[in-house]
Amino acid sequence: MLSLVPFFQWCDSSFIGAAIRNSRVAFPIIENFHLFALTVLLGSLVVLALRQFGLVYRAQPISEVAGALRPWNRWSLVVMLASGILLFLSEAMKCYSNTSFRVKMLFLFAALLFQFTIYNRVVAREDKVAHAGGKIAAAIALCLWFGVGLAGRAIGFLG
Amino acid sequence: MSILSLCQWIQDTQIGTSLRESIWMFPIIEGTHVLALSISVGLLMVSDLRLMGYIMKRRPVTEVYEQIKPWMFIGFAIMIVTGIFLFWCQAVKAYNSIFFKTKIILLVVAAINAIAFERGIYRKVDKWDNALVPPMEARIAGWASLILWAAIITCGRTMAYTF
Repeated sequence: MLSLVPFFQWCDSSFIGAAIRNSRVAFPIIENFHLFALTVLLGSLVVLALRQFGLVYRAQPISEVAGALRPWNRWSLVVMLASGILLFLSEAMKCYSNTSFRVKMLFLFAALLFQFTIYNRVVAREDKVAHAGGKIAAAIALCLWFGVGLAGRAIGFLG
Repeated sequence: MSILSLCQWIQDTQIGTSLRESIWMFPIIEGTHVLALSISVGLLMVSDLRLMGYIMKRRPVTEVYEQIKPWMFIGFAIMIVTGIFLFWCQAVKAYNSIFFKTKIILLVVAAINAIAFERGIYRKVDKWDNALVPPMEARIAGWASLILWAAIITCGRTMAYTF
């Protein structure tokens, strides 16, 4: 059977991974940016979901709110992934045997897939009043992304 | 009674001890504290960005700010409650942490910034409600708020490393 262990070992022994591991301040600094990006990414999703549920900004079409938040959502995702990859490289073998990490990756792939195939298109089409489908999509997106965050936090706690 | 012995007493209370020793409660409270960042600072960011003139520029400042405010307060209420419990079970460590002390000072400064904004330039918001880019005083309040909260998050995250 194809094993992922060699890949994780290669990540773990990579130059970048070792450099982060050997620095006392690199990991905390990178994780801090990971946390900033989480705030912006989840924050933008919460605002958009609130709009879809008709709880804020009812005067603005949903597509307009989504458009205003898009750059913040997009760039925070870039920072999130970049900082996440760096953190992963520095402790890849630890992650390999960590159940929470696997759960997090499942949530992450599901969230990315859902957002870029369905959710972004749904909100781009919505006008003033959200359809039931739009509200369901918002709820799914929130659950998936908060799932990523929760599982991420669990990596350190539960193993 | 010194502050240190007060902290010792707080964390030795039954709630403090059982929280510290619980397998599930501490991670749940800590996880909630982290994820509620999105509802508190995440929503605050949108109104700060409007004050800075970077987002939803064609919408009145009052609309962007006032409608999100109640939700933002719910987020900050979650932060305060979970934050108090986190302090409760590790009060002495917190007291000895320079990052915790800095965090508290920055929280006070952020509160002062918010009150100064509400009592200052925001009183005259009628005059600049529809401005694409709000006046300097409002922009500074927005920048100060975002920078302060970034620093508060940094202190919070860093103090946990030193525990």
